[in-house]
Amino acid sequence: MTLPIRVAAIAAALHITPVVVLVKRPEAAQALLPGADAYFAREVHLSTPDAHRLHKAVDWSPEDGVLTFYVGRTGSATVGALEFVRVDTPHGPIEVAVGFTPQGTVRGVLVTKATVEMKPWVLEAVGAGLTNHYRQLKPGDSPNGAAAIAGQAGDLAEYIAGEVDKGVARALAAYGAFYRGSA
Amino acid sequence: MLYDLRHADARIKWLVTCLLATFGLSYVFGALMVSLYAGFTPQGVAATYRGREMSMPMPPETTMVLEHPMSVAEFAKPEIHTVDTNLLIQDTHVHVPMYGMIAAALSLVVVGLSLERRWAFGLITVLFAAPWLDFAGMWLTKFASPRFAIVTLAGGWAMGAGYLVVAALAVRQMWFSARGVDR
Repeated sequence: MTLPIRVAAIAAALHITPVVVLVKRPEAAQALLPGADAYFAREVHLSTPDAHRLHKAVDWSPEDGVLTFYVGRTGSATVGALEFVRVDTPHGPIEVAVGFTPQGTVRGVLVTKATVEMKPWVLEAVGAGLTNHYRQLKPGDSPNGAAAIAGQAGDLAEYIAGEVDKGVARALAAYGAFYRGSA
Repeated sequence: MLYDLRHADARIKWLVTCLLATFGLSYVFGALMVSLYAGFTPQGVAATYRGREMSMPMPPETTMVLEHPMSVAEFAKPEIHTVDTNLLIQDTHVHVPMYGMIAAALSLVVVGLSLERRWAFGLITVLFAAPWLDFAGMWLTKFASPRFAIVTLAGGWAMGAGYLVVAALAVRQMWFSARGVDR
């Protein structure tokens, strides 16, 4: 059975299962903003044209038109920034945490939430090295984790990797267009 | 009327009992799931379907940035589980037919009970109207007013109450009493 048919069959047979936390947010913040001793939430309230531009770029609008970057600092030095991006799939939502270095490249990616159904797919994809393929990406790059783990993981892990790719692409687009260094 | 659960074959009574037990189990876990996410208060339901109250109700003319310090512990603040429009469309698409099947199955049990016609009509109406109210409340809460959260709660309680009445009457009439009203 091909993957699309299998995914459609599962989607038809099951309804959305509850969301489970794979990595707690404080742990994600400490992992992706290492050494930070102060944290700041930077809320970017998008104007309609900017929201439209972002939507056109990555087919996504942040909730309530607000992008939130979490900035970590040590003293006056910025350690980096972090975004939590939700991706709605036919199987329910996943949440992807994307951390950036002060130079604007991806420091790391964690899948922080998934549904009960998708959890094993996520774990298999991460076990196949999915998140390693996002390091050093910068705004303008296209994440391609799904293709990178093809052949090393099952069809459903590859499918969920494609959804994680979407989350990373959204984070890259948002960071590239709306994150402006130290405030 | 030929279809009368009081005098049905024991195998039919057992089938109906097993069906009711299965629905009961799923309703118990459905209630637990609701308590984990939306909760049983109008405020909780409104927060789930309405989303957070925005500090800026309309998009600003130009993109604005607000930054505030936060502690790492604030990353662990319980998040409000929100259901956006896309997810509500998906939930409605998946749940409403399923609730219709459940209401139809319970209505078939009602038809086999010894009840006055008006009570049977009333029960069948409640069984179908409850999920309509449930989802109408979600949509109205999202797009009209958070005060409509009470409609979703009313629908949810009506679903539970309808099931309990049907299950209690069916078990009593099938296994504990052969008496009833002539229809």
